[in-house]
Amino acid sequence: MRAALSLAAFALLAACTGESSSGEGVAVPGRAGALKSSASVRAARRLYDGAPPTIPHPPLGAACTQCHNSRGMHVEGLGFAPPSPHEETHGMSTFSRCNQCHVHALEGGEFVANSFAGLAQDLRRGERLYDGAPPVMPHGMLMRENCSACHDGPAAREEVRCSHPERARCEQCHIPSVDDSSFTRP
Amino acid sequence: MSALDRRSLFRVLGVGAGCVAFSEADRARAAALEAAPSTLGPGLGSSSTLKWDKAPCRFCGTGCGVEVATEAGKVVAVRGDEKSPVNKGLLCVKGYHLPAILYGADRLLYPQLRQSDGTLKRISWDEALELIASKYREALDTNGPESVAVYGSGQWTVFDGYAALKWVKGGLRSNHLDPNARLCMASAVTGFLTQFQSDEPMGCYEDLELADDVVLWGANMAEMHPVLFSRILESKRARPTVRIVDIATRRTPSSEYADLYVELRPGSDLALANGILHLLVKNGKLAQSFIDQNCVYKRGIEDLDAIGYGCYGEQAERYTFVDEPKDSNFEEFQRFLEDYTPQKVSEISGVSVAQLELLAALYGDSKRKTLSLWCMGVNQHTRGTWMNNLITNLHLVTGKIARPGNNPFSLTGQPSACGTVREVGTLSNRLPADMVVTNPEHRAKAEKIWKLPEGTIPSKPGHHAVDMFRAFQRGELACLWIQTTNPWVSLPNLHRYQRKPGDGKFLIVSEVYPTPTTDQADLILPSALWVEREGVFGNSERRTQQWNKLVDPPGEAREDAWQIVEVAKRMGMGHLFPWEGDWHEPMFEEYRSFTLGVGKDLASYAQLKTTRGLLWPVVDGKETRYRYAGGHDPYVAKGRDVHFYKAKGYGERAAIWLRPSHPPAEVPDAEYPLWLCTGRVLEHWHTGSLTRRVRQLHQAMPRSYVELNRADASALGVKSGDLVRLKTRRGAMEFEARIDGRGQPPRGSVFVPFFDESLLINELTLDAMDNISKEPDYKKCAVRVERVERGA
Repeated sequence: MRAALSLAAFALLAACTGESSSGEGVAVPGRAGALKSSASVRAARRLYDGAPPTIPHPPLGAACTQCHNSRGMHVEGLGFAPPSPHEETHGMSTFSRCNQCHVHALEGGEFVANSFAGLAQDLRRGERLYDGAPPVMPHGMLMRENCSACHDGPAAREEVRCSHPERARCEQCHIPSVDDSSFTRP
Repeated sequence: MSALDRRSLFRVLGVGAGCVAFSEADRARAAALEAAPSTLGPGLGSSSTLKWDKAPCRFCGTGCGVEVATEAGKVVAVRGDEKSPVNKGLLCVKGYHLPAILYGADRLLYPQLRQSDGTLKRISWDEALELIASKYREALDTNGPESVAVYGSGQWTVFDGYAALKWVKGGLRSNHLDPNARLCMASAVTGFLTQFQSDEPMGCYEDLELADDVVLWGANMAEMHPVLFSRILESKRARPTVRIVDIATRRTPSSEYADLYVELRPGSDLALANGILHLLVKNGKLAQSFIDQNCVYKRGIEDLDAIGYGCYGEQAERYTFVDEPKDSNFEEFQRFLEDYTPQKVSEISGVSVAQLELLAALYGDSKRKTLSLWCMGVNQHTRGTWMNNLITNLHLVTGKIARPGNNPFSLTGQPSACGTVREVGTLSNRLPADMVVTNPEHRAKAEKIWKLPEGTIPSKPGHHAVDMFRAFQRGELACLWIQTTNPWVSLPNLHRYQRKPGDGKFLIVSEVYPTPTTDQADLILPSALWVEREGVFGNSERRTQQWNKLVDPPGEAREDAWQIVEVAKRMGMGHLFPWEGDWHEPMFEEYRSFTLGVGKDLASYAQLKTTRGLLWPVVDGKETRYRYAGGHDPYVAKGRDVHFYKAKGYGERAAIWLRPSHPPAEVPDAEYPLWLCTGRVLEHWHTGSLTRRVRQLHQAMPRSYVELNRADASALGVKSGDLVRLKTRRGAMEFEARIDGRGQPPRGSVFVPFFDESLLINELTLDAMDNISKEPDYKKCAVRVERVERGA
């Protein structure tokens, strides 16, 4: 395990220092970078808001979830591997096939240019009933079961970082808004 | 519905609890979800200008539902449709990157005509349509209907396919209409037709959760049908007793999840399946009363020399072999199988006797439900129909068929291979709803619905795909119109089909991007793609899915069906398309009239518009999840558990076929010592003309490569990343070697993906074909691998 990790760390270091042919020119953020993990880095790795991010580092030869587990992993001197927002499953599941949705950007360039302009990142905050009320979730929950992946820890963007991650039952107070309509009696 | 509910629904819908994997309660919740206006919520991009609409994914035959976001006339995002029973909110990487396929910089925008100096000149639609009409008219007048053809696609919408069928067979009075689906699932068609006298599977995707044992026959589902593979994995998560068996000639990402990986030699699957049948008979595992009530025995021509492979001698120009079925019986079946002893099958296939016995025990276990899945490994096979027959035999002799969780199920590769090709019947010998041109009653029915004089439709089947291009090459076809497909990448033995300048023939290609096929064209027409037009697709599980036009196509691009209708009108065949204004719904309803009352009943257009698709036969507005199954299928006679009512010619029974093992058309020898297998990769869809225009997909899989076995590579002194030269009897080409990558071919074999138009592996493949379906075998030919010195 340790050997595999250090091998992975070595490859990641190569990726960070630009020694590989890693794709989009977006460096893997180091610890300092991760604290300010910016909206632009987030956007650069997605075709549109809601698309699965591409993988900015080369294949490391270890299972993805070794670092991208439910809590993420800090690799000393390199940076923070963000946690997976997907429900943690044991054994095989939809989420054991990471590369089914997340692909490596192995090299730069395009086959043919493309003018697709994807849906921009929605930076709105969740609506609150009154100042001090818990905000509702401004997004759905499908494949975002692990709230702390994006709202807690070094990979959380400041704008959406939770002030009280110790209260683990998020959905007790924060509910998703699933519909625009109002209640009317039938 | 709370987030928790939805989360568990996502999982539960996929798997269900315990043995009753899809309970009525789950179904009720699914129905509630279907009725709900939106579940993902307004959060994800919920600006007031954003509009979300349903559509099926444009890529594979799985038929995932996507919700498409449009803003200011452009598609800006998709998300997995949680209301779709197919994918329940999940997509694969191709599906997530789907919207960008519309916006490649080199979209074809205008009709373009090739000039004598080879350059392309923009012309108007009016000029283009007049030119096509005059070329087809001239060909008909000079050489008759034998000299015109249309080559279509499993990516055609039902409208495109139906318009083409009606125009070619009812207007041009030719049967030279065939699709690219001939290259991918024709063997499944002939498989189902020879056994049930009706095409398409009896089961549906729900089988993925209901089966206890899922057997993959030469299908790398993890890469090619990822969302369906996820459903299998979720099922296994909920019920650890579920077993996955991967029978393959190459270790793939699917094999990593298999409880049992069975590696066999290329082409030995026929022997393996007969070996399993042998053991089922020997061990007394036949469901004798089921067989007595529901099955007959058949056998056809088995003489290797009489059948051939469609690529040697005279067959290399025309392959017109016709099988001659005759009755057989149980005693003959038993005697036939005596040959396939475990020891002998083990020698042929390389599969151990122990594994063979495991497989026989699995199929023979009446307490466990078995689902067999297959795709290109079985279909692209010189005896693909036979192999389809043998897999279905395993289910017929054990009675594991037409019951939830117990079924043989063929996967398809194109989004409407079923809906457009198999159901509309855009094949050289077919008419809609299982009808054939060789049957006078079928022709009469079509002529009546089409209001055409008796005797309009010719009775002789036209060219199948490969023979169509051979005929074009020979100069027998004056006009060939290709829509929505890229044969100059996808045909086997491609060297044959390079055009000579000034050959006097007229090739029209309707496309969305420049491809090696448009490079061959005299006239290029710009087509509307996916949600740039209204459409209907039919997926692998008999689900018919409709979508509306959501954005305008770029430039002057128009939908394929419109192109055909307009040419027909200019040829004086406007009576074929008599509808004023928007013809989509009336055209569909006319087509639907072929399907009603014959067990192929499609839902009404109005119903399709408001649902996430329905599984035919749809009777009284209700879909049928299990065909031929009592309690599910309204056509089944009262009191029957199973009733193969479509097989009128077999006394409403299914046929168990005696099919022997034949060797492949070309086997490795001293000069070409390895097997060459070709196929697809997760990131690219078929010939890559769409997916390569998406940066993320291109960057993940920028070019083709060859997978080598480590032992073969070290014998050649080749490391991963080195350049090697592949040589077959057809040609040579250099590829980068990959060793122990995502796929690991066994010693003595190599694998090459076919998506890359600059590394056309099909210049090296052999155009051997299945004897009955005429589907080429892209999986087996002999190759030599040589190391290439860098800088040499």
